[in-house]
Formats: sequence, structure tokens, C-alpha cells
Amino acid sequence: MADTLYDVVIIGAGPAGLACALYTARNRLKTLILEKMIPGGQIYNTDRIENYPGIGRVDGPTLIDQMQKQVESFGAEIHPGCEVTSLEKLKDGNVAVLCDRHTHTARAVVLALGSHYRQLRVPGEEEFRSAGAGVSYCGTCDAPFFRGKDVVSVGGGNTAIEETLHLAKYARKVTLIHRRDEFRADKVLVEELKAEAAKPDSNLLIMCDSIITAIQGQGRVQSVRLKNVKSSQEQDYPCDGVFVFVGMVPNTSFLKGVIQLTEHGFIRVDCAYLRTSMPGVFAAGDCRVGAAMQLVTAVADGVNAAITMKQYFRDPQWWHMPVNDEIQPSGW
Amino acid sequence: MAEERLVEVTDNSFETEVLQSDVPVLVDYWAPWCGPCKMAAPVLERIAGEYEGRLKICKVNVDEERDVASKHRIMSIPTMFLFKDGEVVDQIVGVTPNFENDLKRRIEPHLE
Repeated sequence: MADTLYDVVIIGAGPAGLACALYTARNRLKTLILEKMIPGGQIYNTDRIENYPGIGRVDGPTLIDQMQKQVESFGAEIHPGCEVTSLEKLKDGNVAVLCDRHTHTARAVVLALGSHYRQLRVPGEEEFRSAGAGVSYCGTCDAPFFRGKDVVSVGGGNTAIEETLHLAKYARKVTLIHRRDEFRADKVLVEELKAEAAKPDSNLLIMCDSIITAIQGQGRVQSVRLKNVKSSQEQDYPCDGVFVFVGMVPNTSFLKGVIQLTEHGFIRVDCAYLRTSMPGVFAAGDCRVGAAMQLVTAVADGVNAAITMKQYFRDPQWWHMPVNDEIQPSGW
Repeated sequence: MAEERLVEVTDNSFETEVLQSDVPVLVDYWAPWCGPCKMAAPVLERIAGEYEGRLKICKVNVDEERDVASKHRIMSIPTMFLFKDGEVVDQIVGVTPNFENDLKRRIEPHLE
């Protein structure tokens, strides 16, 4: 069993976890962050953040590095390379956090588990992905391998558009495939994309109302099967690579049967105080139901969990109280 | 933790370090601009420590060592090739959600 009792163990050192730790550590709560890889999460792979209020433009690694230093300066411990395998509510009210090598105990736990890319789930996708033969989920990583080649990208959100613009700097031609005719991405990005595509010598093509039904080729990607969702017409569309940006799925598979999850794997919380089905365990950021999947909202969740936690420490019965306007968690 | 266990390999040293190695070699193709590659690095360090003497882990910077990267047709990073007696016996692409365990499961069958 563990030797130290932490006030709070935070699982995941992405923006939600780090923001939470900033508040708990500043409040002199003994704080430990467990991270399966290195601090950062998804935002680490983003080279262009321009919607974090007050920060003009920054890249993910720079921002995360600053967040980490800030958190550590207030005494929070970060253990990278620590994979959590389960949680257990103990008789004394504390929560045991089981890792592959250790067990840590805490008075409260914050699940800031983040998310990973969603797959298209079409024939050929996993085969070419696992062979490294032309299916990718990271434009920043793999665009340079497609210099002078033709690629398609898929999706309609911010990531899809940012990555498509990035790909266009390397590829000979980029075709963005989107299943609707409107984009859910921020207007400023959509305008930038459309302006780029409208240039006379543009290598960018936007194909709306279209879906990929299969990824095809001999040994490597050579074409995608496209279907127009309005006309139902299908065609083989030649390309050397497929970049998929169709949303995220939460990293919660180890919690099945431990904590209540939605059908899609998001952690059920009351969205006001971020309480999960296990008393003393909060969820913050991309992994919880209703998450906006944004850097700022992840950070906000982390802070909210840190603040509502205080209410729980004061009175464990608070956990079972309904959300209403008579119970206000007070700030630090 | 800070100890460097991964062996940097170039186009020139690939033959001796990887193909002629006595123990299986996991070769990690990476680049400085690749976020998931940086995330994978500490996991690889740890695995290198855990399997010391039974497995060697090398890394190839695809930005600099273009011969090796193009020879192995790298189109996505990180890509890891597992070599045994000079032959590729497995290939792992990308950082999965349970990367460390996934990687070990793939490596272990090939270790003595």
C-alpha cells in the first residue's frame, strides 16, 4: 500500500490537470499529478493556439512548459510515465489510485484524462494506419512526408481546418472532405480556408457533402472511395495519403465498471461541480460528458474541480446534495 | 530517469548498430517537430531500462537521416521497427492510448 496520503491526486497532466494543480498546490494541498507519458496531452501537438484569452499566439509545447513550471513552483509533484489502471473507494473515505507500479491514496481525485483522435472506421483505415502506409491523424507530424504528393483530409472542425492549411504547405494538392456543407470550425478559420482555396493557383480543394467509405491501395494508400451524401454518387478519388480529423474520444476505457460513463465513454458528472459517481472523484476537461473540447474549457474545469473540492473536504455529505442555487461552492 | 539509454543511429551506423546487433533492436523513427514522438520518448527510455541486455532501442531522426527513413518508407511518425537478426519482425505506428503496454506486448514475443 501507499505510504503517503495526498490531499489530491490528479490523473493526467494536460491543461485541465495542470490548471487544477495550480489551484490546489497554491492552496497548500498536497498535490500529485500522475501522467502516463509526459505533460501536455493533445494540446502538445498543436502548433497554433490563438484562442487562449490574453495570449496572442502560442504553440502547445511552449504553453504546457510554462504551465508545468508554474505548477511545480507551488509544490505540486508530477510523476510522468505512470499509467493508472483503476480506482478504489476505501472504507475510510479516501480513494486508492492503482498504477502499474504503485498505489497512491488521496482524499480526492481529479480525472483529467483527456482524449485521443477518433477513427473513421472505414475499410482500409486501420490496415494502412498500422502499416504506416498513408493514413495519419497528425498533420503536423506527417505533412513533410507528403511533399509534392496528393492528400485528402477529413473533417469540419478547427483541427481539420488548421491541419488542412498546414498540409497545403507541403502537398501538391489537398482535398478537404466534409460530410456537411457547413463547417463547425471557428469562422475565422473557415474564412482563411476558403480564401486560400479561392486563390487562382491554389492547391486546396474543398469537397462538401461527401464521405469516405473506404481507403484503398496496394501496399500503400492510392485512393479513397468517396460518396456524395446528397446524390449518393460514388467515385474513386486518387490520393497518396489520408489525414483524419473527425473529433476525439475520451481516454476512459480503464474506468468501465468503476465509474459511470456514457455510452460513448465520457465520464458522467453533474456539470456544475464535476462530481462523478464515486464520491471524492471529480472529472475535468475532454473526458467528461458535455466537454467543449477546448483548451480554455479544460483549464476552467480543472479550476472548478479544485474549488468545489473544498466543499467536499468540509463536508463529505455534500457529494450527495443536488445541484441547486442554495449550495454555492466558495472560492479559496 | 535522465539517463540516456536510447542509441542515436545515423545512415552510416545503421548497419552496425541495428542490422548486426546481437539482441533485438527497436528503431524509433522520429522528428523534432513531432509532438507524439516527444511523448513516446520517455516511454522508450523506460522500456530500454526494463529490458536492458535483452533489447536495444535506437532512434533515427528522419529529418537528418533521410536514406534510412526513405528506405523504410516512413510516411508517419513515430514509427517503430523491431529488428531481429537484421530482419524486420514487427512494425508499430503511432502512440496509442495505452502505448507502454501495447508496445511491450508487441516486443516481448521476440525477446530471448
